Amino acid sequence: MKKMKKVLSLLLVMAMTFACLTACSKSNNAGNGNDKGGSSTVSTEKPTLADYGSGTIKIWVADAAVEFTQQKCDEFFKANPDMAGYKVEIQPTGEGEAAGNMITDVQAGADIFGFAQDQLARLVAAGALMPLTGYYENFVATSNDAGAVGAAKVGDTVYAFPITSDNGYFLYYDKSVVKDPSTLEGIIADCEAAGKNFYMEINSGWYQTAFFFATGCKLEYTTDDTGAFTGSNITYASKEGVAALKAMINLAKSSSFQNGSSVDKATNLAAIVDGTWDASAAQAAFGDNYACAKLPTFTVDGQTYQFSGFGGFKLLGVKPQTEQGKQLVCLALAEYLSNAETQLARFKALEWGPSNLTAQADEAVKSNPALAALAQQLAFTIPQGNYPGEYWTDATSLGDDVIADKFDNMSDDELMKVLQDFQALEQSYAK
Amino acid sequence: MADKKKKGKVTAAFKAIGADIKDIGTTFAQGDWKTRLSFLIMGFGSFTRKQFVRGFAYLGTEVLFILYMVLFGAKYLKDIGTLGTVKGGYDANYVYTYGDNSFLILLYSILSIFIIIAFLFIWRINVRDNRNNQNKLSVPSNKDDLKSLLDERFDKTLLALPMAGVFLFVLLPIVFMICIAFTNYDATHQSPTNLFTWVGFENFKNLVSLKTGGFGHTFGTILTWTLIWAFFATFLNYFLGMAVAILINKKGIKFKKMWRTILVMTIAIPQFISLLYVGKMFAADGLVNTYLMKWGWIKEAIPFWTNPTLARITILFINLWVGIPYVMLITTGLLMNIPEELYESAKIDGANAFQTFRKITLPYMLFVTGPYLLTSFTGNLNNFNIIFLLNQGKPQSLELTGGAGYTDLLVTWLYKMTVNDTNYKMAAVIGIMVFVVTAVISLVVYNILPSVKDEEGFQ
Repeated sequence: MKKMKKVLSLLLVMAMTFACLTACSKSNNAGNGNDKGGSSTVSTEKPTLADYGSGTIKIWVADAAVEFTQQKCDEFFKANPDMAGYKVEIQPTGEGEAAGNMITDVQAGADIFGFAQDQLARLVAAGALMPLTGYYENFVATSNDAGAVGAAKVGDTVYAFPITSDNGYFLYYDKSVVKDPSTLEGIIADCEAAGKNFYMEINSGWYQTAFFFATGCKLEYTTDDTGAFTGSNITYASKEGVAALKAMINLAKSSSFQNGSSVDKATNLAAIVDGTWDASAAQAAFGDNYACAKLPTFTVDGQTYQFSGFGGFKLLGVKPQTEQGKQLVCLALAEYLSNAETQLARFKALEWGPSNLTAQADEAVKSNPALAALAQQLAFTIPQGNYPGEYWTDATSLGDDVIADKFDNMSDDELMKVLQDFQALEQSYAK
Repeated sequence: MADKKKKGKVTAAFKAIGADIKDIGTTFAQGDWKTRLSFLIMGFGSFTRKQFVRGFAYLGTEVLFILYMVLFGAKYLKDIGTLGTVKGGYDANYVYTYGDNSFLILLYSILSIFIIIAFLFIWRINVRDNRNNQNKLSVPSNKDDLKSLLDERFDKTLLALPMAGVFLFVLLPIVFMICIAFTNYDATHQSPTNLFTWVGFENFKNLVSLKTGGFGHTFGTILTWTLIWAFFATFLNYFLGMAVAILINKKGIKFKKMWRTILVMTIAIPQFISLLYVGKMFAADGLVNTYLMKWGWIKEAIPFWTNPTLARITILFINLWVGIPYVMLITTGLLMNIPEELYESAKIDGANAFQTFRKITLPYMLFVTGPYLLTSFTGNLNNFNIIFLLNQGKPQSLELTGGAGYTDLLVTWLYKMTVNDTNYKMAAVIGIMVFVVTAVISLVVYNILPSVKDEEGFQ
């Protein structure tokens, strides 16, 4: 009898090992459901179901927004008792991190997640976002500003719900040091005279476009609906490109210039090109001398240009769902988290500038100095499209070369050669 | 000579496998019906000889193996040639269906191959068992079998779990990563929407390609810097650390304990904090530059981190500050171990300080610390912390591809490639290269170490 027991336990252990191994295989139906279109009729009615079922919806939002999102989710389920079978599980995950995590493992990722729109093409290419059609496509297109709508699209397909329109940069400065924030030369002169620093992160692909777009260069990629880059329109290797690069080189030569874009990490700060997320830090750093303005103009070879740059947006995406019920609940919840009331409430709670037109028109939003400066600057910016990941890396390389003084003694022709190489490299990413 | 030896080993291995197969053949040819049936139904022979424990173990293994392959392994293994063909997609209601997943296919295929090898191994034991028992009059009973697991075969009992762990958590990931180097797994070929597939040696060609977009030039630059870094980081620390230790050990130096304590303080603070802080100190707007400018010593900030050459020198310099105290601690004790008489007789013979160091101290120290030097050299080849915490491998340049910077080591470059650019295929290739470099250097250096060549040297 004892022997049998031992044998039995041995078998049990083996069975358990086996169970462990098989547990990893989810029901992985290899069926090909790729018959998109066909019978589907595009409807602008909000899709509904009699029974949504139940389950858990995993949400990733930035650390600061967790509490706010929880509160809004509770309100949503109170208002929609037919969907209350679902529970939400909110995890703090930064916007950059969320995209990376989703790409690493889509199936284990969040159902709804917030991200910055420069990650959109990457996410679509990795199959981490479901396309929005019919009612929801219409909702996104009609309720947000044009830049935000453009930012939520890859090709002609809308993939996400815009939640903010504040991902742009402008100038924070110390009134007592910088007398006139309208020209870069003036700001630099004031900073040098006071022995204080002017910060701009010129080795970032995001801030660098302020120069190139200002002189009229183009950096555009076209993508197909799957997020693959199919074409490009880049004109860095041009007279305008050389002017922009020279402006960067001149700026980097100043003893007050520092490469950076974070108020917290800056020392001896007089002016910084930064975004709304640093508003409270800037306020604390400058105290009574806190002031905001649109970006200045700069002059190269006698010609004056207005700093441009990217207008950026934060988006909320829904992962492709395998169940209709959960899919509809996710969509409805994402809509709720990005509608006018929520965006206004989010602005009041977290100072995130809304992308929703109704929320933007609110007095409280209009009277915020940082958002007012950004609104002014946004008039000169270009809505940020989708860029291959390599662009950001290469732009850092270009900026690092400028800061390392590699181009300081180069003639215009030599600079043109640098930009030709850069342009050829960027063009090579679109096939 | 060594070549011949190696060839001999390879042929011996093949011979052994051949002999084994032949042995299986003869076992079948000369076997009785019990043995022959055991070839198909594992453990049959054991059952008929009343060895139920063995029988159940063999039969159980076979049943589990077949179940595993039928229910799980086969569906992945069948796709290993293509790594999947069916893409995921939406239906009319945009409900998503997941298709093949190249990542899982590759992972579970490798797991399945391991399991097949393990199964064949157990099957072989089963066959050998039958052959052994066939010729014996009495076979070990169940009790003997179980007892032996706690007695003469106790090593196998103890090692079973660790071995399984090593296979699952060490060997499987390594083989998986090596396989990735032969696929096109990158940003545009990601599961589950897109599939990746085998591309042969394409990535290795790209690594040495000098064309635009090729990694050749960058790989050369990074590899050279990695070797220079490891050399200087190891030997500068070693000699300067030893010098400091000798200095403090000198007779007539006061407050020995205090000096040691001050140096050891750098060890007491976690590197994560101190390196991040020191990195910031040397930035263009950092403490060092700000004060130098304030005092009027310099007009422009010194580009510690933005100028390639200066950045490399700064890193080596800061590494001294981190490394010297460790070496000092290690060598202090060893220095006291050197017999005082040696120095005294050297003194009588009229040797000066440098001569005693070269002839007595250094040989002894090299002998004792040889293995330490080797580990610290290989450690420095992969010294991720220092580089990444100080300046993340910057500055980048358009002259380098793949987002590499001038102070990147192979290992930090690999990290950037996976995390920033999702370029898993090239990262896997670099990973293999890191292994090759480390292995070659370790083996070569190990064989010339005095402590290995002449084990009795200082006894």
